[in-house]
Amino acid sequence: MVTRVFPGSGRLLRPTIIALLVISVVQVCWWMWDQANYARQNMERVHALYVDDAVAARRLAATGMSTEAIHVLFPHIEADGDGNLIIAPEAVTALEDGRQKHITQYIWESGFFLCVLAACIAILWRGLHEEREVRRQQDNFLAHVSHQFKTPLASLRLSVETLVKRQPPPEYAQQLAQRMLDDLSRLEGMVTKILDSARLNRGRVIFHNTRIELAAAVDNVVSRVMDMAQKHNVTLQAEVPAGLAIHADPLAVENVLRNLLENAIAATARTGGKVVVSAKSDRDGIDVLVKDNGTGFTAEDGRRLFEKFQRIETGDQVSSTGTGLGLFIVRRIMHFEHGRVSASSAGPGRGATFTVTWPQAIGDAVGDEGASA
Amino acid sequence: MSLPAPNRILLVEDDLPLARGMVENLRAEGYEIELVQDGLTGLARARNADHDLLILDVMLPRMSGLELCATLRGEGKKTPVLFLTARGEPDDRVRGLEAGGDDYLTKPFHLEEFLLRIKAILRRWEWYRSSVATAAGPVLKFGGNEVDFRSFNAKSWDGSTHDLTEKEAMILKVLAERPGEVIAREDLIERVWGMDVYPSTRTVDNFILRLRKVFEREQQTPRHFITVRGVGYRFLPEGSEP
Repeated sequence: MVTRVFPGSGRLLRPTIIALLVISVVQVCWWMWDQANYARQNMERVHALYVDDAVAARRLAATGMSTEAIHVLFPHIEADGDGNLIIAPEAVTALEDGRQKHITQYIWESGFFLCVLAACIAILWRGLHEEREVRRQQDNFLAHVSHQFKTPLASLRLSVETLVKRQPPPEYAQQLAQRMLDDLSRLEGMVTKILDSARLNRGRVIFHNTRIELAAAVDNVVSRVMDMAQKHNVTLQAEVPAGLAIHADPLAVENVLRNLLENAIAATARTGGKVVVSAKSDRDGIDVLVKDNGTGFTAEDGRRLFEKFQRIETGDQVSSTGTGLGLFIVRRIMHFEHGRVSASSAGPGRGATFTVTWPQAIGDAVGDEGASA
Repeated sequence: MSLPAPNRILLVEDDLPLARGMVENLRAEGYEIELVQDGLTGLARARNADHDLLILDVMLPRMSGLELCATLRGEGKKTPVLFLTARGEPDDRVRGLEAGGDDYLTKPFHLEEFLLRIKAILRRWEWYRSSVATAAGPVLKFGGNEVDFRSFNAKSWDGSTHDLTEKEAMILKVLAERPGEVIAREDLIERVWGMDVYPSTRTVDNFILRLRKVFEREQQTPRHFITVRGVGYRFLPEGSEP
């Protein structure tokens, strides 16, 4: 997938394009000068022929040829008021007009040529720029991802090496084995998130939307992240009223809820916090709210919260161990599910609320019977 | 362990599974170890307690390991620091060492290497302390300058006082132990940092420049810290002929 461009091509691009433009403009100027010269010489040549014609006409007149007959032979020669044969002023004007027309035509054509050239260069420039941007993102992604893998890998290696080096008693060996399993789960979770985000980023996802009972879906995810919550001393509560149903893909719903809950638990981890999931129905669909009393975020951080690898460093958040992909995945899924996601916080240290809105399952009454946190 | 008192180590690492593994192994080696999980608490603990070594993760919540180390160094705290990081690019290493770190270990690391590095740092530190304690005088005098290796205080020829960093003092100590002899840059690195720490020998040159700034009357024509082109440095307590 990675396109290789030889090093330095980026640096050469700008001067090359400028040189190309300068050469083209100089070439066009030369054409213009050349054409103006050519048109002038052409006019002078024709004018000289007219002068010769006038002399010939006068000789024919001297032989007694009628002025009319001469005019038929030389249409651009006519007699002035005194009967002298001269070049017709209209013919001179026509010559001058012809020259102007020729030059004007070349001005327009050159302008058009330069415009087309500039447009081509602009398209090329943009294409290369975009490609460079994609490459930069890929590099960043690789650097970031490999960096994220190193801490659980370090922990895993340490456990294995401890087992080998210390030959520990069974009880401690058991503890080490459990720690290794936890590290493997962490790594698996990361791989899943990376694959999810890559698929979602390319839009290669198929959703099978169906009717989902929200309360059951939330309970299911809550039970899955309960371990994590307990480990971080976080109270996790689901307050979703029965009877609410959404039209969505079951796996997508689980993915979104799990990411939001994990995010909320990580944000409240150190303060012995509380995370509440609630839901309510309104005109646009069904809102699921994940509210925590954790670290919160500033308005500025809130704007880049759903971008890749954005992790907010505020207060005492445990943050150097996440993948930085969870909220990006949520945003992409909600985009494909024709839903919405938003986040609000009263500020750092004052908790946060994440709201996802799904379309309501067809056939459900729209009302305000939902609970809120 | 044959040590009279175990070395005390402060570990600041926010990833709990990894931190637990390190703590258990260091305890098994006979170290006394204290674990904290964020930068600010780490700073407070490093300030208030006397540790023989700090092991700092670079990416920490609330305050980065680099910031923590630089803050401590700014306050004159000389405790040696081993950085742990997931990023291993040369730039990161240089930044860590310039923040005042002694060594730099990239995750994932080998347990044996981790333990060896810690031993090496403690041994170098021990060498410095014992050589200062057993030297005829812990105070070095040369060319109107005066350096107290115990307190890291220096008084230069113009009467100004300076607080030397641990590395500056160690380099000066290595040079002063063999006055007049040519000491290779690599030897200096080996004695002060350990050979595998620094990416380039130029860093030593920067430390020498700083020493010249403090102790030489004219930095352009140094009389005590003489460069031996292509090799290293020679320290002349009496000063070279002008």
